[in-house]
Amino acid sequence: MSRKASGLKAWALQRLTAIYIGLFSLYLLLVLLFAAPGGYIEWKAWLGGSLVSVAMLLYVLSVLMHAWIGVRDVLIDYIHPIAIRAALLGVVGLSLVAMGLWAAQALILVRLA
Amino acid sequence: MKFLVSRYNPESDASPYMQAFDVEVSRGMMLRDALLEIKRQDESFAFRHSCGEGVCGSDGVNVNGTNKLACITPISELKEPIEIRPFPGRPIIRDLVVDMTQFYQQYKAVKPWLVRNDPMPEQEILQSPQDRDKLDGLYECIMCGCCSTACPSFWWNPEKFHGPQALLTAWRFLADSRDQATDERLDALEGPYKLFRCHTIMNCVEVCPKGLNPTKAIGHIKNLMLKNAV
Ligand code: SF4
Ligand code: SF4
Ligand code: FES
Repeated sequence: MSRKASGLKAWALQRLTAIYIGLFSLYLLLVLLFAAPGGYIEWKAWLGGSLVSVAMLLYVLSVLMHAWIGVRDVLIDYIHPIAIRAALLGVVGLSLVAMGLWAAQALILVRLA
Repeated sequence: MKFLVSRYNPESDASPYMQAFDVEVSRGMMLRDALLEIKRQDESFAFRHSCGEGVCGSDGVNVNGTNKLACITPISELKEPIEIRPFPGRPIIRDLVVDMTQFYQQYKAVKPWLVRNDPMPEQEILQSPQDRDKLDGLYECIMCGCCSTACPSFWWNPEKFHGPQALLTAWRFLADSRDQATDERLDALEGPYKLFRCHTIMNCVEVCPKGLNPTKAIGHIKNLMLKNAV
């Protein structure tokens, strides 16, 4: 994130992703409670639907972005030596990207199958 | 009544310690009166105070874990033993006297004065009663520092985060219809530190002896920033 984006944009994104995470979590909960797919085939069909898969990808990205802003805030608050902070941010950032790619891969495979 | 008071003389003590005092309390006694009595018992004891009526903002201390103005805190409201410490997170100069330099620097950084680009009028700059009302709950700040020294974000980053007092002041001038530096003020608050270290913990609101709400002011600033950005 650029210097200029690091204040307001991070804050606004955190709020925006929180809203989406809340709404989609509610939707997921309702599906699991009342219309849970019965087996593996049904699961794949449900998750592979174009609307659900895009919404799910957006959900994963929102969670990762939200986590990134939150962890970054904690590190800015508490870790002051810049080298240690940069290293920790790097580890967190890479893990989050890895998780995002993994989730995207899973969704693409479900779509292709 | 039993008082435990934090003592520290940097020239002779390795670290602050608590000293017990016994003070006879009378009805209607304020904490400042007890501190004055303690000073009568031990004149090496140091604390700041002046007006005695919650106006000057100089006698903020940490009482049983909460920042308060000693002169308007009735003893009868406090649980015994009454533990009095200096403001948390500030360097101690002596006993209850702390170094507030960073607090004042943050105040100065928000340009706490009206900025006008238009030529000054012959007489005063007029303001409608409605616009004047927007300053209520902001201008009353007496800069006692109870809020900023109770704010965890200010403890961790006092050199970079403005803290609730300075941010309340920033909003006080942003909200002033006579001020003409809205964009400059908002731009100056950008970045992760000056404004956005506030995580809405609301310690500041809880302790303000004037009943002001820095968290709300901070929310107004963030919303105005957002509005001006989109
Ligand atoms: S906002 Fe309240 S607590 Fe903070 S400095 Fe002003 S008067 Fe004191
Ligand atoms: S609301 Fe913000 S300014 Fe107030 S105590 Fe919490 S972090 Fe500090
Ligand atoms: S002595 Fe002035 S505010 Fe308490």
